[in-house]
Order: sequence, then C-alpha cells, then structure tokens
Amino acid sequence: MEQQVTAAIIEDHPVVTEGVASWIRSDPGQRVRLVLTARDLTGLRAVPPPSADVIILDLELSGELVTAQIPELVAAGYRVVAFSGHSDPAIVMETLDNGAHAYVSKEEGSDHLVEAVLAAAADRPYVTRSQARAMLADQRPARPTLSEQERQALLLWFQGMSKASVGRRMSISENTVRQYISRARAKYAATGRTAPSKDALLARAIEDGVIKPGEITPYTSFARTAAGHPSEGAPDR
Amino acid sequence: MTAVQPATMMSGRYQRAFTIAVVVLVAGWHLAGAGGQLLDYRSAYGSFAFQGAMWLVMALAITAGSVLVLRGTPGRRAAWVVAVIALAASTAAAAASPAGRMLAVNWAWGSAGWAGVLVLFRRRFAELAWFLAAEALAILGVQVWDGLNRTDLAGFLALLAWSTGAQVAVAAAVRALDLAAGQAATAAASEHAARERAATAEIIRAARHARWLALQESAVPLVAELAAGTADPGDAQVRIRCAVQAARLRRLLAEGDEVPGSLVHELYASADVAERRGVAVEIETAGTLPPMPGPARRVITDAAIAILTAAHSQTRITLAVVAAGIAVSFVADTGAVVRLPAAGEGVVFEHQQDGGMLWAEARWNSR
Repeated sequence: MEQQVTAAIIEDHPVVTEGVASWIRSDPGQRVRLVLTARDLTGLRAVPPPSADVIILDLELSGELVTAQIPELVAAGYRVVAFSGHSDPAIVMETLDNGAHAYVSKEEGSDHLVEAVLAAAADRPYVTRSQARAMLADQRPARPTLSEQERQALLLWFQGMSKASVGRRMSISENTVRQYISRARAKYAATGRTAPSKDALLARAIEDGVIKPGEITPYTSFARTAAGHPSEGAPDR
Repeated sequence: MTAVQPATMMSGRYQRAFTIAVVVLVAGWHLAGAGGQLLDYRSAYGSFAFQGAMWLVMALAITAGSVLVLRGTPGRRAAWVVAVIALAASTAAAAASPAGRMLAVNWAWGSAGWAGVLVLFRRRFAELAWFLAAEALAILGVQVWDGLNRTDLAGFLALLAWSTGAQVAVAAAVRALDLAAGQAATAAASEHAARERAATAEIIRAARHARWLALQESAVPLVAELAAGTADPGDAQVRIRCAVQAARLRRLLAEGDEVPGSLVHELYASADVAERRGVAVEIETAGTLPPMPGPARRVITDAAIAILTAAHSQTRITLAVVAAGIAVSFVADTGAVVRLPAAGEGVVFEHQQDGGMLWAEARWNSR
C-alpha cells in the first residue's frame, strides 16, 4: 500500500476544521492522515517545515485574506490546497498564480477536497468546477492560450457534467477529458509569477505526458501577438 | 427594458455620417470646383476633349472610392488602386495643359488630392501624406519639364499650401471626430450600464430582504428542530430540507457579488419556485455577460422553468461567456428528457441525457 499523505488544516472556524477532518476520516482508502490543525499561520510557523505534505488553507483567517502568504508557504516546501467560501474568479486566479496546487470552494468540499489533497501531494493537477469557472472567465492579458478542445472540456465540466458525460458529449474518452482539463491547468502553471510548486506541477505534467514541453508557450509571446488589444484578445476563438 | 445600444453600434453610426460628409465634399468639389474650372478655360487647353476625358476618369475614380468607403474602411489594395488612377489622371491632365499656364488652368490637382483623402482618410495617416506628397511632386515635375520660373514656383507653393492644407485638415478633423464619437458612445454605454447596475442592485436588495424574511420562517425553525433533536439528520426528508435551506443561505450570501444582468435575475426568480418545492438550485456565471434582448431571455427562462419543474432534487444552472454570445446550461436530475421550447430569437438548444441526469445548453448568439 502506498504511504499515507499527511495534511494540515489551517482554518479559523473549528466547525469547518471538524468537517474537513470527518471527510478525511471517511475516505474508504484512508489515504490521507491529518497531522496538524491550526487556527492561523502562526500556529503553522511554530513547527519546523514542512510538517505535512499538503496544507488545506482557508483563504480567510480572522477576517483577513491570506492569499499573499501562499508564496511563503510554497517556498517552505508545502503544497497548498486552498479551501474557501470565496468563489470570486479573481481570488481563485490570484491563489493559483501565487502557487497553490488547487482551489476547492466550500460547496465543493465533500466531493473534491480529499481528491484535491491527494492530487496535490503527487504534484498532479486537480481542477474543481470553481477553478474551471475562473479559468473560463480569465481575461487577463497574461492568460495562457487554451485550445478549442481544452476550453470545451473546461466549459462542460464547469456546467456540471460528470467527466464521463463530458466525454460522451465530445465523443472522446473520459481519460482524454482529464487530459484536456489537466493540460489547461498545466498551461496556467507555466504563466505568471514563478513558484516551486508550479514548476513541480509542470514537471509532473510533462512526465505524465499531459503536456509536451513545446506546448508551453510563455505568456509573453501571447501578449506580443495580441499587442495593442490585450483586453480584446479572443479567448474563445 | 429599453433596447441596448452597444458602443460600437453608436460610434459606427457617427462614423458613417462623417464618411457621407466626406463623400459629398469630394464629389461636390469635383463637380463644381474642378468641373467649373474645366469649362471656364475650355478654350485654353490644347485638347479640351482629352481634359474632359481625364475629368471623367477622375469622376469614375471618385465614384469607385465613394462606393468603397461607404462599404467600410477600404483595404490597402483597393484604396491605392483608386488613388493611383486619380494621380495618373491628374498628372496626364497637367502634362497636356499649355506650358506656362498650367497652374492657372489646372483643375485636376485639387480633385486628385480630394480623391486621395476620400479613400485614405481612415487608413494610416502616413499613407495619405505619401499620396499628397507624390501628387505635389508629379505636378512640380510637370512644371519643371515645362520650364520652371520663379513666379511659377511661387504659384505652385501657394496652391500647395492651400489645397493640400485643406485636404490634410479635413482628414485630420474627421479622424478626430471618429475618436470623439467612439468616446462619446463608450461613455453613453457605460452610463447606461451604470444605470442598469443601480436598478439591478435595488432589485437584488429588495429580493434579498424578502429572502431574509423567508429564511426567518424556514431555516430558523429547521435549525431549532435540529438543535432540539426533534429533526433527525439521518432522515432523508430532513436532509433534503437542510440542502434546500443551505442553497438559499448560500445564495443570500453570494448575491452581493453576482454579475448584474436581467437574465441572471430572471433565472433566480424561476429558481425560487423550484426551491420551495425542495429542489436545491445553484446558479453560477463565468465571465461578464453581455446584455441579452428580452425575447431571447424569454426563450431561455421558458427552458429553465421546464427543466426546474421536472427536476427531482437538484439543478445546476450556469451562464458562461462564449465566443459568439452566452451559453446557459442546466444539469438536473429530471429522470427523463424534458420538452424544451423551440429554438428562436438567436437561441439554439442542445441536450444530452445520461441516466437520470439531463444536460441542456441554450446558446444565444449575439451576432
């Protein structure tokens, strides 16, 4: 049996911590072991890093957004899965850009949190519907260029279809659906600010054959081709 | 709701008016100005027939140029074909004029310059500058060929300053007006959007207040029952009640950052009815939705009502900006295929049934 993934929860509401812990406990494979819970980041700083493989981080601690602290956590060797009541696409994009592996909204928690933690521990992409939504809505000039198929898979996934249904709709296998969505996510890891977690995600995606090194276009080249009309680029064409 | 005028449509209307003004100006100059001069000096030309023929060539070039610009900004090739024909006709007319009196009897310089303005004024400014310079050089070349003296040169410079100056001024003015029209239209559109946002905010506020009051009657007793132990979380009915109240609470919390726009609110209104029946409804948007006309919205809300009515316990509604418009989708446990309204008003439907789950998408094409 594979080794258990260790996780820490940083969350200021005990009831939420308890809920997350119960999802972890009820995982049939017992694949995740909870090693630490803290109500804020000072609680985490008290132990030598990295004390867990993955941090489940509530983005709002005591009323303050902590997205800006993600780079520090990532630099200390943690993988971060953001777990938040916010679903504003701008916050989702900032979280990912700062180096979080995945974003799980609180509504998605019971279905996706454990899977997202496991994917993060393996440096594999995990795209929740709220994350797909933010990627579809992304209008920043520095956004990566997604292929027609990648966009369509993301759109149907965001709309609420299961991956099997997305595959039937697009006449492709469920596995190819996962490939498209993972590739779109990997392209995001190649843009914006640099972070060790993004490099790790990208390296793993190349290793898994999800994306070829040639498919990673640095975002500057996109910005240059769209020169003059950065905000009027054609993401859907 | 009033019809929405996108900024581009409004500024396009102004631009067309400016184009028509330029066409009238250029045609008027060629007919009255150049034509008048041609007739005045008809006895002075070596061959009046040749000058008349060149005048007609120029008239044809201006007609072709007018058709081009009235159909949109002409491409480089088409614009320059017209410009070069005008340049050639004017140079030929100048060369065939009597030496020494060429500038006095020349009708063509002005017309050629105006023809250039007509086809080039919305292209890069450098193109018009090149054309006007080439035209002036051609006339100067004819004069040098005829034998240039100081009076001729002074006359040439005076005409150059007057006609080219006027042409550059008109082209620059139209470009400035284009820009102003674009800005005015954008400002008008954003004001319209701001008014709509304010109205929407008021609707949201009232709806939220109503929902808050409703929660007092539905969620609070449920929480009380759970706390007192009279409602058992193991009971499926209680779980459904919890799911519905949770969906309502979530919506109440999320409403503040919902994208304003009538379609979203109409969908919310449709969802309310289903929620009272015990269906948990999620509504999410991706991207800033463009405004959708009323008839198209009605087709989509009809579909929403049909699907929500058939849903057993859950429906997810999403609105996403796509290349040509908006994709509104529904994923619901309807159990069976739902009769969707007929396509129309720019809305087409697609659907797929997977077991008991229905996926349906309404795509509205804004073009």
